[in-house]
Formats: sequence, C-alpha cells, structure tokens
Amino acid sequence: MTEEPYRWLEAIANRREYVREQLKGGTPVFAVSRPEGILLLGVGHGHSKVFEIYNRHGFAALGHPVDIEKVRQVAIEAAHLEGFNRSAEDVTLRRLISFALSPSFKNSFEQIFSPPLIVEAIFAEIGDRPEGDVLVRLHFDGNHHYDAGGVQVAFHQPKPEAEALAWLKARLQPQDSLGRTAALCLAAWQALMEEKPLAELAPPDEPVGSMAGRLVEAALLDRQRPGPVHYRELPPWNS
Amino acid sequence: MNGDFLALLPKGPRLPAAAAGAGPVSLLATTVFAFHYAEGVVVAGDHRATAGTTIFSDKTEKILELDSHSLMAIAGVPATAFEMARTLQTTFEFYRRSQLQPMSLHAKIRALSRLLRDNLPATLQGVGAVAPVFVGVETANPGAKPVIFFYDPLGAQFEAADFAGSGSGSPSIKSVLHFLDRWGNPRPAAMPLGPACALANRLLMTASEFDTATGGVHPDRGEFATLKVLSREGIRTVSASEQAQCWKEATA
Repeated sequence: MTEEPYRWLEAIANRREYVREQLKGGTPVFAVSRPEGILLLGVGHGHSKVFEIYNRHGFAALGHPVDIEKVRQVAIEAAHLEGFNRSAEDVTLRRLISFALSPSFKNSFEQIFSPPLIVEAIFAEIGDRPEGDVLVRLHFDGNHHYDAGGVQVAFHQPKPEAEALAWLKARLQPQDSLGRTAALCLAAWQALMEEKPLAELAPPDEPVGSMAGRLVEAALLDRQRPGPVHYRELPPWNS
Repeated sequence: MNGDFLALLPKGPRLPAAAAGAGPVSLLATTVFAFHYAEGVVVAGDHRATAGTTIFSDKTEKILELDSHSLMAIAGVPATAFEMARTLQTTFEFYRRSQLQPMSLHAKIRALSRLLRDNLPATLQGVGAVAPVFVGVETANPGAKPVIFFYDPLGAQFEAADFAGSGSGSPSIKSVLHFLDRWGNPRPAAMPLGPACALANRLLMTASEFDTATGGVHPDRGEFATLKVLSREGIRTVSASEQAQCWKEATA
C-alpha cells in the first residue's frame, strides 16, 4: 500500500483525522510568561497535565495519558543525559525540541503501521528575565513553533486555540498577579470547553466556578527560587 | 521506565582488575565529618587537597549537596569522588522527575554503595579509593530525623549513631567526638547551631595539628570550614560570616 504515493498520502490523511478524533476528549493547557516565572496550567486529576522536565524546563499537555507519559519520559531522559554529559546550562529547549522531541513526534506520526502519539503539548524554558523565556507549541505530527508573546495555548481544535491565545494576549497585563493570570486562563479554559465564542468573553470578576470535579494543576517555573531547580508545583485547587 | 539513570549510560571501559601483588589502598588525605546537633546534623570539611606531599589547593569544597535533603562528604581520590557526587545528583533528580516521587532515603544510601562497588577495580589498585560520608533525611516520613552513614571503599555502609568521619585527619576528630559524646557537657547532640559550628572548626584545627593533609581552616584569618547543616526543612550552608559570628561568641 505505501509503495503507491496516493495511498501513502491517503493513509497519512486518515491518520491525521484519527489523531484529531482521539484528541477530542482533551482539555486545554496554558503557559504564560510572567515576571515571577512561567505559569503552566491545566485542569485534570492530579499529575496528569503539567510536569517538570529539568531544572528550568516544564511542559503541559493534553492527549492520551499513556502517550503523555511516553513524551514525558523521552523529554526527561534526553534532558538528563545532556545535563550529565555536558552541563545543566547546555540543556536548552531549542535543542530538546529540535533533536529529541520533534523528530520523535514526526516519526511516530508518519510510521503508519505503528500507533501515533496522541499528544498536543507546550514546552517551557525559563530565562533569567521574562525576555529570555522560551515557549514552544509542539503538535502531534512534530510540527512546532516558538512564541515570542509570552503565552501559549494547546487545544485539539486549531481555531478556538488561536482565539483563546489572542484573547489572553489582549487581556494579560504586566502587573497582573499570578492569581489573576490563572483566573484568565481558567476563564479561557471554560469558554473552550463550553465552545463559547472567545471574542464575547469578558474577563472574570471572580474565579471560575465549576470544573466538573476536576482539579486545577498548576506549576511555576519560579525565576526567584534559589538553587538549580526552578520548577515549583502549586497546590491543586478546585476553582 | 524504572527511573534508573545509570541504565541510560553506556557501559564505559572499566579499569582492569588489580594485578597480583598490588599495593594496599592508600589512605585518604583529607578530613570530613558529620555529627548530630540539637537541630539536625552538621556536616563539615576542610579545604585542603593534596597530591603526595604537595598542597594542591586550599580552596576545595568537599561537602556536596546531592539534592534538597541529602549531602555527601567526600574523602578519597577527587576525580572519582566528584564524579560519584555528580552521578548521584543526576540519579536522584532523574528518579524524582521520572517517577513523580522522591527516591527513598534507603535507595539513596544504596545508590552510593553501588557506585563504590562499581569502582572496585580502581580501589583495589590503589588509584581510585573513595570513602564518603552520606547524610540524608527521609522526606516521605514527616517524623523522620536526619541520619549519618559512612562507607568503606568497597561499598559497605554503616549507620553512625552519633558521628562519622573520613579521611586521614578523621581519627583525631573521632576521638574528640567520642570523648565529648561520652563526657561532654553539653554533648554535641544537645548543642545549638552556634556552639556546634564553633566545635566543627575547632575539630578541624585539631586534626590539622596531626595531619598535614588537613588545612585551610584559620578562624583568626577569617578562613572557616565548609559547613552545612541538614534538618527536616532541608540543607543550609553556614556562611563564613555566620561562622565568624559563632566563633566570636564561642571564644568570647
């Protein structure tokens, strides 16, 4: 079948459709660069959306739990090997994405006789100052892009994802507290889940109410934290 | 995924087994030690590194933080000891991140023992012996207190009830600590940080009187020990200025 170009293209298209279908149950995740650090936020069941990778690196993802776990392990192994063989300063997100993660995603997606990775992810690297922060949006097919605006959103539908990203960028102010930042992300989360148009969404006056029994999972890559490890899990809360 | 970082590393060339008639393991030219004090454990070391009769450096740091709740005081061949510490640092963090839980204290203790055992060929040839002191606290148990373990160069581990020391200057220190532990008033385990800090510096000065490989501690010149304390809250480095204050109060 794969000897024929048309069949191969058809198989890839089917695969893309299959992955998107599988991702439909996923809930959005966010990463926001702030003066205090990078806030990573998702809504799940505890240790299911937001994870630590290395001293200055974290990631948030939606998708199949087994595949999220695979990606997590690949990222952690690659980062620790690089940190051990060279130094912690040599572990950079650009290299992790280019040489370890993105190729793995692409191979997994295009090898049509093996199961694809059902994951949409955001990776984050904290810098000494907010301008040095790096946020990368990595798609299930290995495609990825860097964001210079200090905000990333991952969702299974590209259009609402772009709307949520624009909405957050327009409303986040430099002086916003972490709590306010989280509240804005949660308002966007709720709008995406309820398929409400983002353009009409007003910034919340109070924290989001119900999240269907799920927990807010959040972590901060804390710029001020002493020592080499900057990742700090924030306690889960209901809303 | 079992969280074992060492499994990811390629198997490097090992030193050949010791030839027949190889000499005995050389003594470890340094002084590091740990003892219980009122709020946790004090871990201290001198600053001197020697190569034979030559003083290689008087600015060496021998008390290394492995993670937020464990420390290793190194005595032995620096190249091997520093590499062991670096391996353990990565191993503990790798396990914590990949398994989403910290490694247990007993696993950390065994991890160091495993590295020492893997170093056996170099140890037997007398070119790579390391005899460290490990200090840690079990983070999963809210009531756990810090513990002190010492090792022989072959990897055997022993828990020290009150104190442990390693290196060529440690016998005199261990004698003093035994004396104080038996007849001291207060005993080191009952001392608050200030007196414990002064005691640690005095012990190193005592060791340097009898051991040429121990040095770099001169309170009158503002040069103090490398000194860290471990409690349930974690590790804290006692700075030279803080030690100077402790010293001033102790000698007033």
